[in-house]
Amino acid sequence: MKSDRQFRAWLAIAAVSIAAACGPKHVSSPGRPGQDLVVLLPDSDTKTTGAAGVSNPLGSVDLAAERDAARVNPGSAPVLTKLSEAEVQRLFGDALSALPPAPRRFTLFFRFESDELTDQSQALIPEILAAVKEHAVQDVVVIGHTDTMGTQQANYGLGLKRAMMVRNLLISAGLNGSTIEATSVGELDPIVKTPDETPEPRNRRVDIAVR
Amino acid sequence: MTNPRSLVAALVLVCAVAAPVAAQDRPVAGRVKVSTGSAFIVRNGAQVPAQVGQIVYEADGLRTGGDGKIGITLNDDTRLSLGPNSEFKLEKFTFAPADSAFGLAVRFVKGAATYVSGRIAKLAPDSIKLETPAAIIGVRGTTLAINVLPTE
Repeated sequence: MKSDRQFRAWLAIAAVSIAAACGPKHVSSPGRPGQDLVVLLPDSDTKTTGAAGVSNPLGSVDLAAERDAARVNPGSAPVLTKLSEAEVQRLFGDALSALPPAPRRFTLFFRFESDELTDQSQALIPEILAAVKEHAVQDVVVIGHTDTMGTQQANYGLGLKRAMMVRNLLISAGLNGSTIEATSVGELDPIVKTPDETPEPRNRRVDIAVR
Repeated sequence: MTNPRSLVAALVLVCAVAAPVAAQDRPVAGRVKVSTGSAFIVRNGAQVPAQVGQIVYEADGLRTGGDGKIGITLNDDTRLSLGPNSEFKLEKFTFAPADSAFGLAVRFVKGAATYVSGRIAKLAPDSIKLETPAAIIGVRGTTLAINVLPTE
């Protein structure tokens, strides 16, 4: 499997070089008019590399390793290749520099049927404030959740009460309220799936996204 | 059963009411986080300068000129950016975990773009459609760079 991939990669590079060597002068690698190029890059936050497939009606290639790339010319199958770090920088340096910072997510937990935070969650507040300050544009979304005890409607209300409580907490800690959105989904998006009327502390929570 | 003619009439009425689509009627998808030089949002065929903090809606396009760069963060944490002389269109964005409704469709039109997957890629990877003029990209939680060269 592995050697098959390397073989295909080698073929792809050879094909591109031949095209570049034999074609007219203005055709150079990488980049022919109308050509699409898709490159797999490592995730800058987790330092891991995902996977992607590039396909059209004529064929497909899998991108599995850092800087694996697919070149696709109109009317032909995608071709697997690999870019150097210098090529990635030359082609994508500007676009990469415009990527916003990675959003951060926090979950705060609540005492049963209340809008009071657990002690551990209360202790997370300074970390949330620090994360907001890392982002040039403040944009915070607060979503309240409940367990399945009580009616859906009552839980929507309780979720909203929890979200508003956290919003107020963040405002009193110095954040601008106009950029904090508070909403509720009640019992509809639990972390732990349970039957109705089940007390579950892990579902009594507020999710905070700092973007 | 329903009279087909009244059904058609109802559909015509729905279309007439729905036709003048203001951006505010479309789902909010995310926000502009980075905007330098000539960077624009293309909405209902008109091009407006992109401001940091501005809301991006489903069906908006993003476009840059020779000195422009733009970066956006969507509500599911997906991030997208463009280098100079580049363009993509955010054709679809649905992120409603409470309803298990997910969808992301981006059409890369030209130039250099980067994509960093968000929660939709974890929760419903098959609902993601990234398209270039000559291919379709399937993602499985990933950072990608996409370059579309002009046809001439």
